[in-house]
Amino acid sequence: MSAEPWPEGVGKRILESVDSTNAEAARVAASLRGPEWILARRQTAGRGRRGRGWTDPAGNFAATLVMHPQEPPEHLALRSFVAALALQDALIAATGRPPGFALKWPNDVLLNGGKLAGILLETIPTPGALHLAVGIGVNLRHAPAPEPGAVAPVDLMSATGVALDPEDLLNLLAPAFARWEGRLQTYGFEPLRQAFLQRAARLGQRITARTVSETHDGTFDGIDARGALILTTARGRITVPAADVFFDENEARPCS
Amino acid sequence: MTQERNDADVAFIRALAELLNENDLTELNVKREYGESDSLNVRVSRMTAPPPAPAPTYAPPPAAPAQTAPVSEAPAVERTSGDPAEHPGAVTSPMVGTAYLSPEPGADAFITVGAQVAEGQTLLIIEAMKTMNHIPAPRAGTVKRILVTDGSAVEYGAPLVIVE
Repeated sequence: MSAEPWPEGVGKRILESVDSTNAEAARVAASLRGPEWILARRQTAGRGRRGRGWTDPAGNFAATLVMHPQEPPEHLALRSFVAALALQDALIAATGRPPGFALKWPNDVLLNGGKLAGILLETIPTPGALHLAVGIGVNLRHAPAPEPGAVAPVDLMSATGVALDPEDLLNLLAPAFARWEGRLQTYGFEPLRQAFLQRAARLGQRITARTVSETHDGTFDGIDARGALILTTARGRITVPAADVFFDENEARPCS
Repeated sequence: MTQERNDADVAFIRALAELLNENDLTELNVKREYGESDSLNVRVSRMTAPPPAPAPTYAPPPAAPAQTAPVSEAPAVERTSGDPAEHPGAVTSPMVGTAYLSPEPGADAFITVGAQVAEGQTLLIIEAMKTMNHIPAPRAGTVKRILVTDGSAVEYGAPLVIVE
């Protein structure tokens, strides 16, 4: 199944069960000699953004890549796009069905307009070094209950009929991640920015970006060189580095 | 983005108010230039007995030309290097993003004013592109000020916390 070999120098650790792969990453980061993927067959306390829960019934994918990036902190967040592009590649390779997959800023992977995966990155401060945990969850077998206003969750099995084992997905994801990471290192963010926009759902359409203190309605006009969302609103063009993005519910139709 | 400026301005004014109190001054006038046609004029003054209640005069809707009301009679205090970004103990933001003072909503804040912190200890989180960046204390010390509020937008280089 895996066309690309496992990336050289990257570790792989498979756990039957763990509280959260990002939490495990924080515990082991200082002892690792190189990048390592940590896959758990069950997460008992999966975490989403800002304390939101992330449920992981058996059969779903939960893994974290621990990295040791050397560049300035402001560049770390570009891994959001590395992860989203790589995960979409891996899912297309696994299912053989490119249509239906799309990306939602900054790093959600959608399938038929539904939320298939969540990605959460966290830096891990350790004495004398900086580690980055790239946590990825994919609804392979089960989708959680929908939340009002948010993009409805979807699972791969129901949507495509493909039963994908988490470790098989990891074997596709790890080389895809290494490939996009290599592009980022060699050519900078621009090729990733272009690729993201080609795959982005709702480009040129109305979306809503909600920050802690404000809600912006506007036209999704791309992402800037830092990866921030560009929105043209009634009050002008703004860039948003951190927000929850919502699509119009009554326009919920398959993307791409 | 205007909200980012507003939050930065609010933090700045708050820091001025603290400076006023700490040094037992009665009035502070500061003008901050953001560009040719954009500036912020702040006058913080203490009325009489009741201490804090700083009354900031808030000037600019960004993009509009500087219509800064001439508040000053005589720039009473020339201790204008109260810009917290210039403070030797300032920890500044390494990126543009949203600041969070606690690990998740409802949880205790990472730090409080007066707390001792160790080098490398997380002071706050700045989120950008769904990446939670833990901002570590660059040195051990005491938290003197926290210059951002939870959920506020921060610019590159904005002062976040003062650790001495």
